[in-house]
Amino acid sequence: MTQPPSPSAAPAVTAAPNVTPALEVDHVSRWYGNVVAVNDISFGLGAGVTGLLGPNGAGKSTLLHLMAGLLAPSAGRVLVEGADAWRRPELYRHLGLVPERESVHSFLTGREFARLNARLQGVADPDGAAARAIATVDLIDAADRPIGTYSKGMRQRAKLAGALVHEPRVLLLDEPFNGMDPRQRLHMMTLLRSMAAEGRTILFSSHILEEVERLADSVLVVYAGRLAAAGDFRSIRRLMTDRPHTFTVRSSDDRRLAAALMADASVFGTELVTGHVAIRTADYDAFTRALPTVARDAAVTLFEVRPTDDSLESVFSYLVRR
Amino acid sequence: MSVMAPLIEVTLRGLLGRRRTILLALLAGLPVLMALLIKVSGGRPDSDRILDTLVVRTVMPLVALIIGTAAIGSEIDDGTAVYLIIKPIPRSRIALSKILVAAGLTAAMIIPAVLLTALLLGSRNDTATTVVGFTVACLVGGSAYAAAFVTLSLFTSRALLLGLAYVLIWEGVLSGLLEGTKFLSIRQATLGVAAAFGVHVPGDPLAPGVSVAVLIVVLAVAFALGSWRLARFEIRGGD
Repeated sequence: MTQPPSPSAAPAVTAAPNVTPALEVDHVSRWYGNVVAVNDISFGLGAGVTGLLGPNGAGKSTLLHLMAGLLAPSAGRVLVEGADAWRRPELYRHLGLVPERESVHSFLTGREFARLNARLQGVADPDGAAARAIATVDLIDAADRPIGTYSKGMRQRAKLAGALVHEPRVLLLDEPFNGMDPRQRLHMMTLLRSMAAEGRTILFSSHILEEVERLADSVLVVYAGRLAAAGDFRSIRRLMTDRPHTFTVRSSDDRRLAAALMADASVFGTELVTGHVAIRTADYDAFTRALPTVARDAAVTLFEVRPTDDSLESVFSYLVRR
Repeated sequence: MSVMAPLIEVTLRGLLGRRRTILLALLAGLPVLMALLIKVSGGRPDSDRILDTLVVRTVMPLVALIIGTAAIGSEIDDGTAVYLIIKPIPRSRIALSKILVAAGLTAAMIIPAVLLTALLLGSRNDTATTVVGFTVACLVGGSAYAAAFVTLSLFTSRALLLGLAYVLIWEGVLSGLLEGTKFLSIRQATLGVAAAFGVHVPGDPLAPGVSVAVLIVVLAVAFALGSWRLARFEIRGGD
């Protein structure tokens, strides 16, 4: 069995000091009998978009349900805007949730579903709120059709409309891009980004790394019920000092540059590949500082310097394989 | 009430799906069909017996069971209950709405059957007494059943099976054999209410005061337990 990453890989909370995070998870665990679904997780989230990443069964949905007050923590506390999430229905005045399960009342139309949510939220003008939410999620054309006739992507948008009718300050989305076509995904990303820019706290889970990379300001990586890492994924990558960083460099003389770099303390491997040189270094900062000097001293012109393993995909795979 | 209106509406629309409505109408129509057959075949008219054996002992608990367990149980099973739970609504309002809908729908199915059966067959004693006695008894008894089954479905996903076991085994067999179990029988309390109006009920029904007390306790406990359970609602599934 693969062991979870050591806790040291996880930077501390993401919220800025002295600012009460909108969402705070404080040493939270949740177990079902002998099975530990979430294991002593702590973090805080403020305004912005955060991606929740993890392989299937890692505990992403459990964590989202704990934050939505739909599960009681076995240990620890979940605070939404400073108050306990569990057994506090008033919480839902400020929180919206898009659950992963597709089921929505299939006999309602999209507009009726949004209106139902608005009425249950006690919104002053349910019809207006429903119409705005339907327009926001780009579902006007299908708004008056029963949800039972919707495609998967349309259901996702109907669910989002239902979660937006009361304009929540905190939005939790469990796999919101499931079933959406590329145009719909792009629309959803733009929408979530604009909502985050308005100061909302948005946390979404996804197994599609590219989406998280494009949308999220920061990530939470959950593995085997533990928080493997939290924060900006490039910063997380730099903290992984036991994993060499790799760079691809194109220059006027790759062979001479490779030989010169081998003499530098920050570099412990170079490989000449057709058209470029691949460099491995343990110290990201030292290498990026040394490279221009080494190139100048060797009279080599640099055409391109590109880190090849600081993508979210690399970070994620390092974290879950440690 | 403003929050209960959408809760009641969505529960009603969910319950009145085509297949379930047809099944319930067929079930509730059984006593009427039986009364028609007796009437056509020239059998001895005795609506009291049909209403006692077929409606109170069989059809009413089954109708209440189907409606009561579906009122929120089916929403929990298919995941749509979460949209009601993630709202700033007191949990007691959700429980009350579900119980009101289940009780109302049970009454809407059963009371016409009681009236039609009684009017078609008449009574050997006094038809008006039969109509009033069974109508009131079914109204409160059906509500108690519906409330109990709504709450049962909040505690277990096997509410239909357990409810059926209660109706068939506990009320059908044990309450006839063990005298003490009568006090935990909605059926016996329902018959006790009918008897209080002068309807002839075979056997030894509960005293009117005790019957009313049992039904009030069932309704109150079902509502309190339902609200308590909803306040601690935990979502199923997920990773």
